[in-house]
Amino acid sequence: MSAHDSPDPSKAVLWDTHYHGHDVISTRSFGYFLYLLSDGMLFATLFAAYGVLSYSHSYFNGPTPADFVHPWYTFTQTVALFLSVLAYGMGMSAVKKGNKAGLMNGLIAAFVLGVVFLGLDIHDMMDLAAHGITVQTSGGTSAFIVLTQVHAAHIFFGLIWILVMMTQVMSKGFTTDTVGRLLSLRMFWHLQAIIWVFVFVFVYLWGYMS
Amino acid sequence: MSHGHDNPILHPEVQMASTRGYFTGFLVSLILMTGATAMVSSHAFPPFGLLLVITVCAAIAIVAQIYFLLHIDISEHNIWNTVSLVLFIPLFIITIGLTWWMFSQLYLRTMPIMPGMH
Amino acid sequence: MLVQVPGGWNPILGRLAIDQIPYTNPILAPLFVAVVIGAILVFGLITYYHKWGYLWKEWLTTVDHKKLGVMYIILGLVMLFRGFIDGLMIRTQQVWANGPQSSGVFGAVHGYLTPFHFGQVYSAHGLIMILLAATPLLVGFMNIIVPIQIGARDMAYPYLNALGLWITAAAVALIMISLFVGDFAHNGWFGYAPIFELQYSPGVGVDYWIWTLELTALGTTLGGINLIATIVKMRAPGMTWFRLPIFTWASLSANIIALTSFPALQVALFLVACDRYFGAHFFTAGFGGNLMLYTNLFWLWGHPEVYFVILPAFGMMSEIFPVFSEKPLFGYITMVAASFAIAGVSWLVWLHHFFTMGAGPDVNSAFSVATMLVGIPTGVKVFNWAFTMYRGRITYTAAMLWAIGALFLLLIGGLTGMMLAIPAINYMVHNSVFVIAHFHSMLLVIVYAIFGAVIFWFPKVFGFKLDEFWAKTMFWLFSAGTALVFVPMYMLGFMGQTRRLDYVFNTAWHPYLVTEEIGIAVYCLSVAAFFVLLYVSTRDRVKNRVAQDAWGTSRSLEWLAHSPLPFYNFAVTPHINARDELAWRRHNGISEAQPTKYVDIHMPNNTGVAVYIGALTFVLGFALTWRVWWLSLLSLLAIIVLMIVRSWRGDPGYIVTAAELEKMEREAMQRQQQVEGYLPHPGGHAVPGGAMAYESHDVSPLGTPPSSGDQH
Repeated sequence: MSAHDSPDPSKAVLWDTHYHGHDVISTRSFGYFLYLLSDGMLFATLFAAYGVLSYSHSYFNGPTPADFVHPWYTFTQTVALFLSVLAYGMGMSAVKKGNKAGLMNGLIAAFVLGVVFLGLDIHDMMDLAAHGITVQTSGGTSAFIVLTQVHAAHIFFGLIWILVMMTQVMSKGFTTDTVGRLLSLRMFWHLQAIIWVFVFVFVYLWGYMS
Repeated sequence: MSHGHDNPILHPEVQMASTRGYFTGFLVSLILMTGATAMVSSHAFPPFGLLLVITVCAAIAIVAQIYFLLHIDISEHNIWNTVSLVLFIPLFIITIGLTWWMFSQLYLRTMPIMPGMH
Repeated sequence: MLVQVPGGWNPILGRLAIDQIPYTNPILAPLFVAVVIGAILVFGLITYYHKWGYLWKEWLTTVDHKKLGVMYIILGLVMLFRGFIDGLMIRTQQVWANGPQSSGVFGAVHGYLTPFHFGQVYSAHGLIMILLAATPLLVGFMNIIVPIQIGARDMAYPYLNALGLWITAAAVALIMISLFVGDFAHNGWFGYAPIFELQYSPGVGVDYWIWTLELTALGTTLGGINLIATIVKMRAPGMTWFRLPIFTWASLSANIIALTSFPALQVALFLVACDRYFGAHFFTAGFGGNLMLYTNLFWLWGHPEVYFVILPAFGMMSEIFPVFSEKPLFGYITMVAASFAIAGVSWLVWLHHFFTMGAGPDVNSAFSVATMLVGIPTGVKVFNWAFTMYRGRITYTAAMLWAIGALFLLLIGGLTGMMLAIPAINYMVHNSVFVIAHFHSMLLVIVYAIFGAVIFWFPKVFGFKLDEFWAKTMFWLFSAGTALVFVPMYMLGFMGQTRRLDYVFNTAWHPYLVTEEIGIAVYCLSVAAFFVLLYVSTRDRVKNRVAQDAWGTSRSLEWLAHSPLPFYNFAVTPHINARDELAWRRHNGISEAQPTKYVDIHMPNNTGVAVYIGALTFVLGFALTWRVWWLSLLSLLAIIVLMIVRSWRGDPGYIVTAAELEKMEREAMQRQQQVEGYLPHPGGHAVPGGAMAYESHDVSPLGTPPSSGDQH
């Protein structure tokens, strides 16, 4: 980077008339990826809080995850979510070939499996509430419930988004906008699976065994 | 940079979708999660060993998912995603790790003797 | 599931009731009347001059990064003023309520503010200054300057940019309305557990505080994403990483911090909200909660945030020093490295805000050492600025004075910061006004840099310079005020005055408190000088008009664009050949070269959606504060629907044709050529060979004074 690297001013290009600007799709998906990373930070902070509030004294002599977590029940949620993510991936492979019907099948399957996941989660929470375990029980249960339900809220908004994308692709086809959004949604949906691995292993399983 | 400008389907980020990759990611993480669940529900090891094993399971599953699902690699159109992820990971570790560390030290000094965290 | 709130609640109005309006408060009631009269006046004037359409079409619905930036800056300046008034009230209360003999009015035993009211003023002052004044001001500058510095036509996501502004504006509206409806938090700007829990703070003040912070955090996160994507993806051809102007580098490092740290704030406050709304036990004293967890999560964001606001200020200083020293920036690479080192270390130091928590010697030592490490890159920066000025041809313009002032304050603030980084000292002065004086020194670095930047970049945005005399008058008054307020404050800190005293018991401190009050009076004069500055400069705008290169010695790309900036920035994207592109072109005599051929360009359309969503987030925050559940749900739903509608419609944008561009360009050139003293060179000629960087062959050899102009 010394002065000698700079071009000869008499021949240098000063204006780039034919510069077409940025690639819309990749700029959008990069920005969306940044958002997802900050979303990951949100979960990291929640995990930090959960770690501080999962000591034995955090449960205030009340129930601990060892009492109320059912590993195989939550495992079915894991399967539902992984399958949903796989279905979405299949849908994106169909987009690659311009196959609209394939995408719609993938989206519908992803949606249904996501609903199954959410249904199982809500059922689990209702069950806990029926046993008197809510955020009001102790600091430990607050951390447990809020962390898992923030993840569930992400799934909920993801489901709305999948619905919107289904209608948009139906009516608009594959445009720069819709394809860009499908890519963003893919990252969002796949990230939820990644976060879920953490939640499942370090909140449910670890909570159960301690 | 502007390839696929006209037809969005030809954009490299669409073209990198891979059925085989998604299946691999799915299978790897499903098998690992099944194993972890089975070991935890049967208390296959003493707690500390179990924690180590499920942590390893989680780590492999995460790496597989990041690689196969999020397409994080060093190809031209993914490099910035990779760079930003690599920059973020230390922060995740700092956030969680330092918080846990400082509070474990605090609890040592402020809480009555209780059976340790886990 | 929801907790019962004390006091009345009904399903239609939530906790809203007529007695929540403090119409009997002798300070707020007259203020309210004044605000209403002022608002009627403003609305009347706009209607009288038929400016509603102009306001809506040109400003409120705009997605132009420059106009959004200007609105951010106006918002920031208004809030800086409000925060200043809060500071004035705090100082006046402390000098008045000093000693048991002091009188009391307006229901206060001592002074004129009741403790509860004083606590609100104190909390609002901190929150406003950091999050609603400094942050919008800096975001505004980054918005305006960064795209031009990298030769982009707009931000990566113009609509998201507008959304960020209007969500920030909603946060501002929320904190302002807390003056007149209900009350504000009294728990300090960063909040203490468990005093913000419902049982100790049953009012709505804490809820206002939560939602104001949440909205700001959201707005700033969106802005951060936008700026990083812009810098990574939208650089003009030839703008390689090591040709990026230094302010852009500073903005990049700052926004990486914003993007990574603001989620922690969102979580911290969300958990407070869980405690207050759902009865969770995150931060309660009993039931297994942990009070210090809140402090931890807050400062996990809070400390990186401090560097989020200081790094762009460093960037501004790094732009100002070279231009008025007529030398390239000394140590460009180390400057960049230092910015990122500061950004990185900022993540390892947050415990120094609560050394006294008692986490033990291991933890405190680790964080103490990490904190001191910050001094190294900051020291690098200070020396780089000093060496930039060394042997330069310095002109003491107003912008330069502000930058030099910032440098001095940085030394004071930085050295006292080193003292505070030592846990042993920290235990002594913890929670004293010494800490206050320290971080005010640091935050004033930002204020100094911002005023420097306002003067420096004003001609770029508006096409005329600010009046030098009044800008300098303001600087000297402001500096005198700073010295008078904060030197006694450091001393009082050593004497043991603690923070947030609504009543100061020790009469021996009276002389110091009086000095501080005099200082704040001088600050008032400086504020007045600022208004005069704006008036005089606007009055003389024809005389002060400038061409592209307003200072004659400018270096980076933004000075290649027209002044005032056209809405499309550059008619043709510039091709970058050197680090300081303009300096390079000027050195080679081609800074006047204009593009020969124009092509059609594509611009985004204006949209009202961002304004609507901003307004709805305000409604959402207000409804949540007052626990009006139906309205919260309705506004949330409306936001989602609007987002979907916007995504359905998309934005095809519009085309500016080559012919239109050429016509506008020709007019702009003609306007600029009429400027008196076209392209001034205040200090004689540019330093020879100074276009690229700092290598030895670029500057005159040591021992030979630079060829002198009319300086000696």
